[in-house]
Amino acid sequence: MEPKVAVIGGGIGGIQAALDLAEMGIQTYLIEKSPSIGGVMAQLDKTFPTNDCSI
Amino acid sequence: MLDAGRHPKIEILAYSEVEGLRRRRGGFGLKVRRKSRYVKEDVCNACGLCVEKCPGRALDDFDMGLRKRKAIYLYFSQGIPAVMTIDPEACIYLTKAKCDKGAIDYEMKDTMLDLDVDAVVVATGVSIFDPTPLTHYGFGRIKNVITGLQYERLINATGPTGGHLYRPSDGKPAKKVAYLQCVGSRDLNYCGYCSSVCCMYSIKDAMLAREHDPESVSYIFHTDLRNVGKWFQKYEKRAAEEYDVRYIRGRVAEIEDGPDGNPIVWYEDTRQRKVEWLEVEMVVLATAAMPAKGAKGLARTLGIKTDKYGFVETDPHNPADTGVRGIFACGFCKGPCDIPETVSQASAAAQRAAAHVLAGVTA
Repeated sequence: MEPKVAVIGGGIGGIQAALDLAEMGIQTYLIEKSPSIGGVMAQLDKTFPTNDCSI
Repeated sequence: MLDAGRHPKIEILAYSEVEGLRRRRGGFGLKVRRKSRYVKEDVCNACGLCVEKCPGRALDDFDMGLRKRKAIYLYFSQGIPAVMTIDPEACIYLTKAKCDKGAIDYEMKDTMLDLDVDAVVVATGVSIFDPTPLTHYGFGRIKNVITGLQYERLINATGPTGGHLYRPSDGKPAKKVAYLQCVGSRDLNYCGYCSSVCCMYSIKDAMLAREHDPESVSYIFHTDLRNVGKWFQKYEKRAAEEYDVRYIRGRVAEIEDGPDGNPIVWYEDTRQRKVEWLEVEMVVLATAAMPAKGAKGLARTLGIKTDKYGFVETDPHNPADTGVRGIFACGFCKGPCDIPETVSQASAAAQRAAAHVLAGVTA
């Protein structure tokens, strides 16, 4: 049977974990309570220490 | 974010919450509530025509309440999935906002989904301390006292002011800004720990203000600067030397509502050993960062342990393992950390989860 993993939380942590799992060929569910994924990071303008845009 | 939306092996279940967990054949059965958006996800293409017609209003929580949005809304412009959602509390169910595509369904109900999975990764993240109980800082009473996350929305080009630092009281550009550290953090009455990201993001905020307006002056009132990380020390120095960011060591005692809406900051400069005051045009509170709302309830549902602040407890020798076999955790839900650290922890948790599920497959 195909292995499956649920990731709870669709912020930067959840997105990264889901991408890594998916890249390993594992079916992943990314569960987020807000209307769309992105989390707090999506609210930020730029991020330290490089002052790059967050998304 | 876009990659996650496109990946064939990832199914995004947004606007959904985990409500139950049962152990099942070495794995878990998750009960997931798919909350009703009153908009069909597979039909809506976020064209926005419904938003124009919608008469309902509510505070925009993505913009930290700094502006209003319609009752039917796109959570944020680059959000995935890019579909509208109706806020049932703001919607007045009168106009039956027309959608040519027929995406709106006022009768839509929540649905429950049963997911069979072999492992779970908890990444519930962070929420921000509400500084209202710290009445001496005047948040909610003095209009030009805002939180760090509100500042992020102000300085953001997609935010309510289009990226200009227009202060809330009169919409004038704020050129003299004070940043207060440890608001709720390192405070035994609220969060008895260091939130770890505030010193750095306040310096960043001050640098951005200067980049935006060469006349802007920033004051960072700090307990002590805790900039522990690669290049962080250099960053702190660069802010002072190239962006004229001024550091003042001392926790602020009180903020007064001064003339013309200018907050007055009362503080002890602990280097000079003097009580001083400073009139500024806006104050930004670096509020404590806490586990996400609802994270404790979720931990109970999953059967994993949390500490007294609600952070998920993990095994010191296997920092992604929660103590329940098959459940892993990463990021701020485990304790304060910044974005790069969250990303590394997320990869670690993904590896642990993969090792767990793939071992089961090959065995």
